Amino acid sequence: MSFTRMMEGNEAAAWGAKLARAEVVPAYPITPQTELISHIATLIENGTMKAEYIKVEGEHTAMAAAIGASAAGARVFTASSSQGVCYMEEALWMPPGLRLPIVMCFVNRAIAPIGGLRPDHNDSLLQRDNGWIQLYCENSQEALDTILMAYKIGENRDIYLPVAPCYDGYFVSATATPTVVPDQEKVDKWLPPYKHELYSLHPDDFRRPPRPMNIAEGRYEVQKAHERAKQVIEDVDRDFKKVFGRGYDGFIEEYRCEDVDAVLITMGSMTGTARDVIDMMQEDGKRIGLVKLKGFRPFPSEEFREIAKKYQAIAVVDRNTSYGSAGGGIVSMELARALYPMDDRPLLLNFHVGLGGSDVTLRQIEYMADKTLEAAAKGKVDEAVDWVELHDLGEVM
Amino acid sequence: MNEAFDRRYEENMLQGGTTCCPGCGGPLFWKMALQALGPRTVIYGDGPCAMCAIRNIKIPTFNLHFSFVADGATGIVNAFKAKGWDDITIVSSAGDGATGDISFGKLSAAAERNENMIQICVDNEAYMNTGIQKSGLTPYGAWTTTTPGGKESNKKDVPLIMAAHGIPYMATVSVAYPRDLQEKLRKAKEIEGFKYIHAVIPCPTGWRFDPAKAVEVSRLGVDTWAWPLYEVEEGVLGMSRRPEQKPVTEYLKAQGRFRRLSEEQIEYVQATVDERRTNLLAMEGKRIIL
Repeated sequence: MSFTRMMEGNEAAAWGAKLARAEVVPAYPITPQTELISHIATLIENGTMKAEYIKVEGEHTAMAAAIGASAAGARVFTASSSQGVCYMEEALWMPPGLRLPIVMCFVNRAIAPIGGLRPDHNDSLLQRDNGWIQLYCENSQEALDTILMAYKIGENRDIYLPVAPCYDGYFVSATATPTVVPDQEKVDKWLPPYKHELYSLHPDDFRRPPRPMNIAEGRYEVQKAHERAKQVIEDVDRDFKKVFGRGYDGFIEEYRCEDVDAVLITMGSMTGTARDVIDMMQEDGKRIGLVKLKGFRPFPSEEFREIAKKYQAIAVVDRNTSYGSAGGGIVSMELARALYPMDDRPLLLNFHVGLGGSDVTLRQIEYMADKTLEAAAKGKVDEAVDWVELHDLGEVM
Repeated sequence: MNEAFDRRYEENMLQGGTTCCPGCGGPLFWKMALQALGPRTVIYGDGPCAMCAIRNIKIPTFNLHFSFVADGATGIVNAFKAKGWDDITIVSSAGDGATGDISFGKLSAAAERNENMIQICVDNEAYMNTGIQKSGLTPYGAWTTTTPGGKESNKKDVPLIMAAHGIPYMATVSVAYPRDLQEKLRKAKEIEGFKYIHAVIPCPTGWRFDPAKAVEVSRLGVDTWAWPLYEVEEGVLGMSRRPEQKPVTEYLKAQGRFRRLSEEQIEYVQATVDERRTNLLAMEGKRIIL
């Protein structure tokens, strides 16, 4: 039976893995992912979930065991954060090239040494080049739903790629929000059992995908899978909405973007705060909207070019750093490349905020929105990359 | 005659060619091992050169990189468990560098979890695939390209360390003694839990000897007690062979890698071999796990 209750992101994600009937869960604890894997252990212990839980000795092994299990025909779930993701790095490059649809949650947390336990997005964005599909979530419900969608997307025979639902540590992982846990039978009907057409390690039915004839061809296959994934992600999201009544508009959600001059682009938990600020500012007659970026890989370039026509200025709120980059944060650089082919490009601003998990406040979002509107009005960007937290915005923290 | 040949060829799972050096003990080892393990086996392994022997075999293989010891196999074991496929032997294999150095922690963890698999160390006593570099399992005094003056420390005693994990079965094997090797693998196959088999594999290229003499050199390793054959089952030590001890110089002199050992160093090697022999014989039949 479906039920609704207040649930932290980590518990919701555990229910996601349970409802998806993950068969093997290799995991190693790290803050703030820990409660997720403890919840799974409890669900298995009390008989709610049926899975082999492998209590491995480190993240590198967690991903390696996930790879072995996925190739051997089991649906696999795992999760990690920050240092754990870094430690796992070598293994994380394997599933996309091997075409294994593992689902792993990134419970976002800053990376040491100038970090802390709280979230920014550098750990998952570190994986932007290795072929994982990345979908960012705003709250518990979205984390649960995205895990279910992740399996449906990754296990699509035209895709066969690993998928990473990403959600912020603490702000999502440890914050209880009302969450609907859908009915198991309904999920079973929507998400059929995992069967990899290219792989089987059973001696009676040994199959492995052929090695690509040359390296460029092999890599291009993964690239093509990402391009096909765009349509599949849109379709799965639409289908999910039809069956479960909730959807996430595919890659990007435009929030109150009618008749606005400029938009902020946010990712993850700060989106919720930004929605409130946009509401308040629009009440005051300010022409600012919000775009939530859910799908970072594959990157929705065409979608952005489509909506960018409508605005004079776009500001990317980057909860990450890329030291010495061509300009600003990772998402802003991606977007700059996506918008470059446009004849009539909007102005592009970039803000660094919430680094190392510091709060992204109402006042900060208002500041960013004002700056963006100012640029739109002037037709010119004064400061292309702005480290918001270095300004005194008159807040009592 | 032809029929018998065909049948023999079918039974031999090592077919399709190998990319090993002439005289490599790898194909020898795998030919014997696969015969003992049978076709309902899945082999997981990293990339030591002795694994080149089984790149083209018919039974399922799956490999990741060199730093992935026992971990992918752990995934396979658990996936098969989840599927209820319980009549298949999962074998995980790694070279000496992977086993003793970079993935030693993984090996230890899989043993601690008592994963139901046979873990094999295919030990040619150096990083041979990259061109003969010292590993933790390179023996004392051996020349490698990173120990041009001979290795200064001893070989890590991985078999005993693995036995100390309290795993159900551990054994050392040599390609010079095929019957012993196969018996141990057949035994390991029947035991539930984590089994560890350590095979020292002769490497003409890295050890510097005539490729025709791989078995001869391996036999000297066992007969001089440089590589004693024993097993530890449920914590109890059993000697597999008690050969009349030959002087260790016979083993050392057969290989170019020990060419520069001084008399003193040879004496030291002899002393460590003697000590191990004495201790092994003293502990035989006893429980060695404290």
